Amino acid sequence: MDIDFLLNGESVTLRGVEPTRTLLDWLREERGLRGTKEGCNEGDCGACTVMVTDDRGARALNACILFMPQLQGKAVRTVEGIAGPKGELHPVQQAMIDHHGSQCGFCTPGFVVSMAVAHLNGDTGHDDALAGNLCRCTGYAPIVRAAEAAADQPVPDWMRELPEGLIADPQHAPESADALAELYEARPEATLVAGATDVGLWVTKLMKELPDLIFLNRCKDLQEIEETALGLRIGAGVTMDRVMEAVKTRFPSYAGMIRRYGSAQVRNAATIGGNIANGSPIGDNPPALIALDATLHLRKGDARREMPIGEFFIDYGKQDRQPGEFVEAVTIPAQADRLKVYKLSKRFDQDISAVCGAFRIRVEEGRVSEARIAFGGMAAVPKRATAVERAITGKPWTDETVMGAWDAWEKDFAPLSDMRASAEYRLDAARNMLSRYLLEDLGAPSNVLEVMP
Amino acid sequence: MPDTLDPHVRFGSNSGQPVTRRDGLAKVTGTATFAADNTPDNMLYAVFVPAAIARGRVTGLDTEAAAAHPGVTHVLTPQNRPPLQGDPSDKPTMFSFRFEALQDDSVRYAGQPIALVVAETLEAANEGARLLNPKYERLTPRTDIDDAEPYAFEAAGFGLPANTVHGNPEAGHASAAQAIDVTYETAPQYHNAMETHAVVAKWEGDHLTLDMPSQAISMSCAGFAYYFGIPAENVTVRSPYLGGGFGSKAIPTGPYVLAILAARMTGRPVKMMLTRQQMFGPVGHRGQTRQRLRLGADDTGRLTVIDHEGIAATSTFDDFVEPAANASQGIYAAGALRSTHRAVKLDIGTPGPMRAPGEASGSAVLECALDELAEKLGLDPLELRLKNYAETEPGTGKPYSSKALRECYAQGAERFGWNSRPRAPGQMRDEDGLLVGWGMGTAFFPCPMFMAEANATLRADSTAVVETSAVDMGQGAWTALAQIAADSLGLPLDKVDFQAGRSGLPDGGVAGGSGHTATAGGALHAAGGDVIRQLGEIAAADPDSPLYGAGNAGFVARDGRLYVAGDESRSEAYTDILARSGGAEIAGNGSASRAPETAEQHAMNAHGAVFAEVKIDPDLCQMRVTRLVGAFAAGRIINPRLAESQLFGGMIWGISFALHEEARHDHKRGHIVNADLAGYHVPVNADVSGLDVITVHEEDPYVNALGIKGVGEIGITGTVGAIGNAIWHATGKRVRRFPIRIEDLLTS
Repeated sequence: MDIDFLLNGESVTLRGVEPTRTLLDWLREERGLRGTKEGCNEGDCGACTVMVTDDRGARALNACILFMPQLQGKAVRTVEGIAGPKGELHPVQQAMIDHHGSQCGFCTPGFVVSMAVAHLNGDTGHDDALAGNLCRCTGYAPIVRAAEAAADQPVPDWMRELPEGLIADPQHAPESADALAELYEARPEATLVAGATDVGLWVTKLMKELPDLIFLNRCKDLQEIEETALGLRIGAGVTMDRVMEAVKTRFPSYAGMIRRYGSAQVRNAATIGGNIANGSPIGDNPPALIALDATLHLRKGDARREMPIGEFFIDYGKQDRQPGEFVEAVTIPAQADRLKVYKLSKRFDQDISAVCGAFRIRVEEGRVSEARIAFGGMAAVPKRATAVERAITGKPWTDETVMGAWDAWEKDFAPLSDMRASAEYRLDAARNMLSRYLLEDLGAPSNVLEVMP
Repeated sequence: MPDTLDPHVRFGSNSGQPVTRRDGLAKVTGTATFAADNTPDNMLYAVFVPAAIARGRVTGLDTEAAAAHPGVTHVLTPQNRPPLQGDPSDKPTMFSFRFEALQDDSVRYAGQPIALVVAETLEAANEGARLLNPKYERLTPRTDIDDAEPYAFEAAGFGLPANTVHGNPEAGHASAAQAIDVTYETAPQYHNAMETHAVVAKWEGDHLTLDMPSQAISMSCAGFAYYFGIPAENVTVRSPYLGGGFGSKAIPTGPYVLAILAARMTGRPVKMMLTRQQMFGPVGHRGQTRQRLRLGADDTGRLTVIDHEGIAATSTFDDFVEPAANASQGIYAAGALRSTHRAVKLDIGTPGPMRAPGEASGSAVLECALDELAEKLGLDPLELRLKNYAETEPGTGKPYSSKALRECYAQGAERFGWNSRPRAPGQMRDEDGLLVGWGMGTAFFPCPMFMAEANATLRADSTAVVETSAVDMGQGAWTALAQIAADSLGLPLDKVDFQAGRSGLPDGGVAGGSGHTATAGGALHAAGGDVIRQLGEIAAADPDSPLYGAGNAGFVARDGRLYVAGDESRSEAYTDILARSGGAEIAGNGSASRAPETAEQHAMNAHGAVFAEVKIDPDLCQMRVTRLVGAFAAGRIINPRLAESQLFGGMIWGISFALHEEARHDHKRGHIVNADLAGYHVPVNADVSGLDVITVHEEDPYVNALGIKGVGEIGITGTVGAIGNAIWHATGKRVRRFPIRIEDLLTS
């Protein structure tokens, strides 16, 4: 494929690039820019963090799972471009030196870029901005102190840049959903690539051959968030950082879960459509969307259909999607917020859920009038707890009702034991989540997230 | 001040200062060159194929398909591998393990190299490796610690810990009024430095140049020279920056040897960089342990016996055994002490030293067992430790070279607020209803010294160059050792050109065992002292010098001037002394090691006390460490900024040990299921909060010339036990395995 982008302020024109070439490999092996490091090659450690700017602004992304075609028309800054053209240090670099933010120094370029992006965007939520960068030496505190110290310094001129709006290869990177629909109907065997936070691993870790790729990142019309009569319609190409913003006030518990969904680098790349379409039993979006009674919009050519999102997940690795059909959007119906999402994981950030439960329970006159409960990590697909829902619906909203549903849980779920948690823990934690919802609803102060530092 | 420092060197003008790291600029701008950043012209890439089974043999490799792939230049298998001159099963140096370098078709653990593909590009090498499509004959793998019988062994050097008995353990058990008998397990852990192992190997005739991260440069040269049949001086190792080491980068490994072999075979430079997944196998790990601790105490809480038995997993073909039980020697004043070790041979890669080997696993269990005893005795955990405070080394009766542990307990407890801790568990909740628990543990680590040599040359312009093949794996050698060197020469830091991080310099020793600053620093200190001694002799003998005839009084060296000791009105600049002497440079050298008789006279340990607070969700059992206070006494601190960072890092490793790190085997197939950073957890920023380090003042006139005890490893000890104890205190549930998992706390 042909790719044009800015690299550290300079135009780069590439022709005939292998579409699954990652930016990290290209930087290190071809371009000779070796400041960007490889720590894991699968988006877990942040050592390869680069800054990517497009018309939505600058974001930190993991270069190791970023395919070159995703850069079309964008601007990339690596650690070599964070210092100024004359070698002037960026304020975060000076602060990292002053506050002893680097020890062995291998993770440092990635931290510096994450910090510089947050600095540029005026983002002072340093803990969140740095959640995707692993350090094995210093223990983060000096790094966070450096980020705080640099926060008030002005943004250097060279950090502000606007990429040129260049046209990509229309056969592999369509510019609209219509163009995508046509391409994909004609080439249903092609692999769709949105953020590549999953597909990237097929290449870097599983060494899969992907003969035909269609990149979705140029389809602007898939990246819109609209308030419609039916509710909040989120385009399939909307990245998770934007989903988090969109649901922050409507469903704060959902937003709180997304904050722990991957790292900033992963949220900035991953799309809601990708997370639904890959059908993972441990994806964190589907339980929340099922509980919210969201509608999935699918499209094949000019034909569109919709379904309650829970029906999309048929079995492990199997979704209700025809060849050539793609997820176009998801709509969350307008509703009063009754949602609580509980993500249980061992490590606070960047951890796959052992159990992710989403609960939406409406109560009228002291009785449960409607219950929608859905889980990830408890079955081969994201799954509703229909027996539990039946067991509590119509009953008084009390501890007795919750306890009365005890046996229903085992009708809904027979979870597996694996390295994330035992089957017993999963089932008991799920039960306790319902108790927790009740307690919180009745005013007892308890929130898993508040354990956070 | 009692001090063995040379009296003519004033110490402390550079040392003791929180200088920022001298390599900081290179690191924040991405210009620090790590091994894999080297890309010489005409270079090839090598990728090894890891075994997908844990036991059996390779029956088929599609070498034709791999060799036919465009860009692939060579495919190495046991059938065509060129010979090595040294046997991979030999142990030519202290840091040598037996390794696999395609000797035969057997598979001894998952992840073992079974073939090597060399290609013009990394992509081609990877694709060639995939095309080999290995076929296996599988045997039932043994990866569970119960899959084989433990065996005893005679202590025989590195990796085989001693069995040690002091006093009469049986009498100790018999006389105990209260006793506990508990068994704990610790998980296999992998170093996972952020930089994976990497090498760029280049041959020029029979001279070999290696760009690679090495914690032991001279010993690496000797080791590689052995396998390739060349003199050690023909091996150049360049290791200016290591992206972390933690013990895994001291030892020649099979992948390295294969890459070097490929370079010799092709006559071209070869780069090999391990993937993160490949780090779980051929490059060492902290072995799994099962430890039984039997403690006895009299009615007042005085220990009658500490009886510590360790079983550790090791490989079928080598014998490194995690020396966990040794952690019970030398810390508490028990009537009798016994530490024994046995090993279990499994189909796993050979374990090796990983940050605080033995002490980390052993102290985790010892400190928890002590808490169990304290509970039984109705004593506060700190009180129990103070009752058994060792004034001299238990067992041997040797005096400590210094020991400010009591101050560590006091200052740590004060900062933490330990006094308000309720004794019974499950008593504290925070405002959100979370269970809160407090626990503590004693930290300690020995103060070994290795051998190091250094040169120092003072130039006519009062600048100096100092040289030793010391290693900076992140701890700050580029900075702290330069501070010591500058002090030894009486020069400001910016006047000293510090050369290190490669072979061809005087042997800087090993960066490990928390002994590198003391050892390499000692050599630099001696080399600088040698220069100053010569300079003083020149001045004292020079009638034109204000220092003429003052040789008997001795000199003080400071800021490029020599002063007469006791009469600082008489002084002269180095430049003036040297100018009159013909402007010649003065070269000095020095070495450092610990004489056996010195080692016999004192017990030498760094000490500390760690206090932990955890909060636990009562319904969902999620655990967070919310506060850690560590107070450490580690002798002279050369650079407080660097030392605190090392201690923080160690304590975070303690969090990691207690709650996160664990390689999980699929025991049916024998491979590790979480061999990546998504599944093998190290703490993220949010897992670490409220860390506080106190460095307790301590002067040690005996431990070494500089009074340095080392800070690299002690932080992990004490911390693990403190967290385990805090979890008990929060929940009343005693979990006897690490890491502690959420489901371990499930009570319903």
